[in-house]
Amino acid sequence: MNYSNLFKYWRTVLTVAEMSLRTQFSEGFVIFAIIFQPMIIAILAMFMLKDKGGDYAMFVVVGSGLTGLWSSLLFVSGNSINVERWTGTLESLVGMPTPFEVIVFGKNLANVVQSLLSMVSSYTLAAVLFGYSLTLTQPLLFFITLFISMFAFICFGLTIAPIFIMYRSVQQWENAMEFPVYIICGFLFPIALLPEWTTPISYLLPPYWAATALHGTSTAMMPLNQVLFSWAMMIIFSLVDLVIASQLFKIMLYKARVDATLDVD
Amino acid sequence: MNTFTKNIYLFWQGTILSYRALFAWLRPVTYMASKILMPLAQMFFFVFLGSYATDGTATDFYVIGNAIQITAVSGIFGVTFSVGGDRDAGTLPYLFGTPANRFMIFFGRAFMHVIDGTIGVIIALTWGVLLMGLDLSRTDLPALGLTIIITTFSTCGLGLLMGCLSLLTANVMFVNNFVYFSLLIFSGANVAISTLPVWMQVVSNVLPLTRGIAASRMLVAGGSLSDVFPLMVSEIGIGLMYGLLGYFLFAWFETQAKQRGTLETV
Repeated sequence: MNYSNLFKYWRTVLTVAEMSLRTQFSEGFVIFAIIFQPMIIAILAMFMLKDKGGDYAMFVVVGSGLTGLWSSLLFVSGNSINVERWTGTLESLVGMPTPFEVIVFGKNLANVVQSLLSMVSSYTLAAVLFGYSLTLTQPLLFFITLFISMFAFICFGLTIAPIFIMYRSVQQWENAMEFPVYIICGFLFPIALLPEWTTPISYLLPPYWAATALHGTSTAMMPLNQVLFSWAMMIIFSLVDLVIASQLFKIMLYKARVDATLDVD
Repeated sequence: MNTFTKNIYLFWQGTILSYRALFAWLRPVTYMASKILMPLAQMFFFVFLGSYATDGTATDFYVIGNAIQITAVSGIFGVTFSVGGDRDAGTLPYLFGTPANRFMIFFGRAFMHVIDGTIGVIIALTWGVLLMGLDLSRTDLPALGLTIIITTFSTCGLGLLMGCLSLLTANVMFVNNFVYFSLLIFSGANVAISTLPVWMQVVSNVLPLTRGIAASRMLVAGGSLSDVFPLMVSEIGIGLMYGLLGYFLFAWFETQAKQRGTLETV
């Protein structure tokens, strides 16, 4: 996998992203996962956390938005290659001259961008329906964090997609992977509530660092050194993900071209 | 064979075959991930969120509410897919071409899911006891068991109605997920119904699960079967209402589809 291709084929990336957005907005499940599910979780959390005081509304907006981001990553980005197999277009995509990773990157870009809608819908819900006045405590740092988080999520998605298509035994656990990440990454409550042995697992997941920094810059005055540390962790994990994804794409393309077992369940 | 025996046989065959058709293609690990681990993870998420909200003072409230709500996995998703599966598998024309008793066919689709859902709730409560410290020492366990079965039955009633709607819409996953997640709010699993706005309380009162969850909480707190009896009667009534609504919709759908030739056009 040659990442310079992402720059060389930037127009392809954008076209794939546009096509993905157009396709996915006609799918009821995707609309549910990125808009309605986070809104329902936000409504629940607002009712449940209303006695906590402080900036809990913004905390809920960011946390429920993150649930939409993760669900979209898991179900949509995770199946971004599988969906081509289901529709019978995988062989054509693998066989054409445009590098396959460029296409998957474009699809993941679209998924992550559209899943930001979950944060927007939760924000609208809190502001309009619940009448909260929502302000970000560190807006500049928040938006930089959001940008880095998106990159980290895209890279994470690049590792999940080839795993899901090559290892059905892993993909079978997909439904069971949604809520544990909400829990372990502290989207809506601190991980200090969890048993101590789960903490190292949290530290190994990029969504945890995204949640820490996004909550810290939206509802509290997180010290700059802690924000920078979270950014660094996300960037390090993104680079590791890219290296792992590179190997996985190599194996997948080998299977496609040499073993001819890509479309075989 | 007389008509009654034939109908019982039809009910049983439909029950077993629709359930097997729904899960036969799955490996045990997929079943475990979708029917056991996913609901448990969801339960733990809301229990932790509830504990955080109340500083750990009302954990039982969330454990019981979310454990009972797990029945909706079978009641909503399972039953809907069992009813709607005939269209996806292309067997709907054959089904409507037979002279078989529609009532037996229709309600047979839900039977196994009542058992499946009940088992799911028992597993969830067991985890609640083992990991979340749920105390069942004062609980009338047979009464709680009956409550779980009745609640699962009523949720399956709603599932039958949703299954019929799945014959009319292409967005089955959207509708199912929306109803399933809405139950998390409206059933009182996570928010005390008395704290909801009035219009939400009205909605809560016409949904399955609401009374089942309330009754389960009463039983765990030391209540007796006679205390929850009125709630259970209402829960059965609500389940029957949704099931019958679904049945009439199913019958209407068959008539319309045959008259217009629109059996598989959605």
